[in-house]
Amino acid sequence: MQKPPLLTRRELLKVGSSLGVGSLLPFSSLSANTLQTQAHIVILGGGAAGMAMANRLTKRLKGGTITLVEPRETHHYQPGWTMVASGVWNAAKTMRPNAQFMPRGVNWVREHAADIDADNKRITLANGETLEYDFLIVATGIQLNYHLIEGMTPELVGQHGIGSVYASIEGASRTNQAIQTWLSSGQGKGIFTAAPTPVKCAGAPLKMTFTTLSRLEASGQRDAFTVDYMAPGAGLFSQPWVDEFVKQRFDDQSVNRRHYYRLSAIDPHAKQAEFAFVGPESEFTSHHELREAEFRRDNRPTVIADYDFIHVVPPMSAHDFVKQSALIAQDGPFRGEWLDVDIHTLQHNRYPEVFGIGDVIGAPINKTAASVKAQAPVVEENLLAVMQGNALPARHMGYTSCPMITGIGKAMLVEFGYADNFAFMPSFPFIDPTEESWAVWVMKDRMLQPAYYAVLEGQA
Amino acid sequence: MTIGGILTILMYTLAPFIWLLMIGLTIIIGLLLLAYLRGYQITHHHSHLASLLAVLIGLTAFLWVPWLTHSTLGYVATVVDWIALIGAAIATFVIAFITLHPLSYLIRLQNEK
Ligand SMILES: Cc1cc2nc3c(=O)[nH]c(=O)nc-3n(C[C@H](O)[C@H](O)[C@H](O)COP(=O)(O)OP(=O)(O)OC[C@H]3O[C@@H](n4cnc5c(N)ncnc54)[C@H](O)[C@@H]3O)c2cc1C
Repeated sequence: MQKPPLLTRRELLKVGSSLGVGSLLPFSSLSANTLQTQAHIVILGGGAAGMAMANRLTKRLKGGTITLVEPRETHHYQPGWTMVASGVWNAAKTMRPNAQFMPRGVNWVREHAADIDADNKRITLANGETLEYDFLIVATGIQLNYHLIEGMTPELVGQHGIGSVYASIEGASRTNQAIQTWLSSGQGKGIFTAAPTPVKCAGAPLKMTFTTLSRLEASGQRDAFTVDYMAPGAGLFSQPWVDEFVKQRFDDQSVNRRHYYRLSAIDPHAKQAEFAFVGPESEFTSHHELREAEFRRDNRPTVIADYDFIHVVPPMSAHDFVKQSALIAQDGPFRGEWLDVDIHTLQHNRYPEVFGIGDVIGAPINKTAASVKAQAPVVEENLLAVMQGNALPARHMGYTSCPMITGIGKAMLVEFGYADNFAFMPSFPFIDPTEESWAVWVMKDRMLQPAYYAVLEGQA
Repeated sequence: MTIGGILTILMYTLAPFIWLLMIGLTIIIGLLLLAYLRGYQITHHHSHLASLLAVLIGLTAFLWVPWLTHSTLGYVATVVDWIALIGAAIATFVIAFITLHPLSYLIRLQNEK
């Protein structure tokens, strides 16, 4: 792989003339020290990743300027959307003002970034203004590509039996109502879909199926309902043990699994969905190789299915303005769709002054807030090292976590990383990742949100 | 996960309930203080009713703790689950006991007057 070029002498001088003691110390001691700098650091996106970086860098840097480009006033705790769409939480519980987390001294630009000129280190905002940077952190999260499903728009969520937990917090609430309406009808067919691309929280489509099954069972009329799960590939989840477990559990709970189907079109008024059969040869759909162009292929066999409720999971990618920039992967499995970073150092593969964090990066797993928690200290240490012309000291091992809700009231604490075909990486030796547990559900229900806010504030 | 990390998350978890904990603590300490000032000693005062009620309240935790967490007793399955739930029941018993025991002393004192 091509190594990113080193920074120029002029760039290093911006920080080099005023290094703190930290620069002389190894990684472990460095973290306690601050770095004097005149550099301008721009962070694009103030979600889980961008806000965590703003807080961390504010504590570590003295004298520089940190600009955070984030158009939203409200911070959304997205992992709570599954709870909202399952009728367990109120929507309000997942929202806080962004101002509450914004560190003092950070220049908050309430605008969309519209263009990244990586060669000239310049960002153009939606209002036409430009920002020059010395160092850039891209943390813009994910774009939901509902338009790749013909006839589907996010506005349809909540109408005509359509649900989609990903759409927005309003979408999650409307998904709950759509499920409730279906339940109240006392019968019918529900279809749960998955996307043929990487998605944020890959467990969410499965969790939505499990919580809906709980509600169907609680209604006392489970047999009156049919539940189908349409998966674009052979697998349902990237971690092999969990994949097998979910398949077995679906079979036990009479969920009809169909593989190699992706949702290609929807007719809301007729309550019909069209699925393209992508075929077993299309292992390319195993989450990373399906590109926008391939959605347009029209000679695939399709099936039309009637539904009373459908849970739509849209294809996802980096935002268009990131895709159109030089920062997007040029080759390999993430080309054209995701940010081109080294999956261990999180430094851009071609632009050494650029780092990526969170959902936007091209990585085989990792689109979770739990990954952000593991990535943030790595980006912090490596960025400071780059600013000082040092070798990158920190590595991200791919840690990701999904409290796999297997019913309303129980869950499994699934934590894994890149190594050994996504082997488990348990944080607590006393919690078995293969066991369904009430205590893990309590973590999801009560403790992960505070933990998330601790990450945002750079405390965890 | 480090002990420091666990403590940070616990602090963030408890932060929204600090006011509730403070009110509860004030009531219990106030009650204990009042009783002590009137001669109460935990080892000398015996109240079977207070002890029995505290045990019963402690046992109710097996029902309301899962309910409060949007779950049911049926999903309490692993060793960790049971340790957590039994811990919650013991904590409920202790809180009930240190409230009811001095209270029963004060009531008895009142009745003797
Ligand atoms: C339904 C659901 C369930 C989930 N469950 C879990 C879970 O159980 N556990 C878990 O760990 N994770 C879960 N996640 C995933 C988690 O929320 C994300 O992985 C995490 O938020 C990623 O952080 P991020 O900063 O990369 O992206 P985000 O948090 O999405 O933030 C991206 C930010 O970029 C901003 N932005 C977008 N475009 C622009 C632009 N042009 N200019 C400037 N700013 C821009 C956005 O406004 C946003 O604030 C779930 C997500 C969803 C949707």
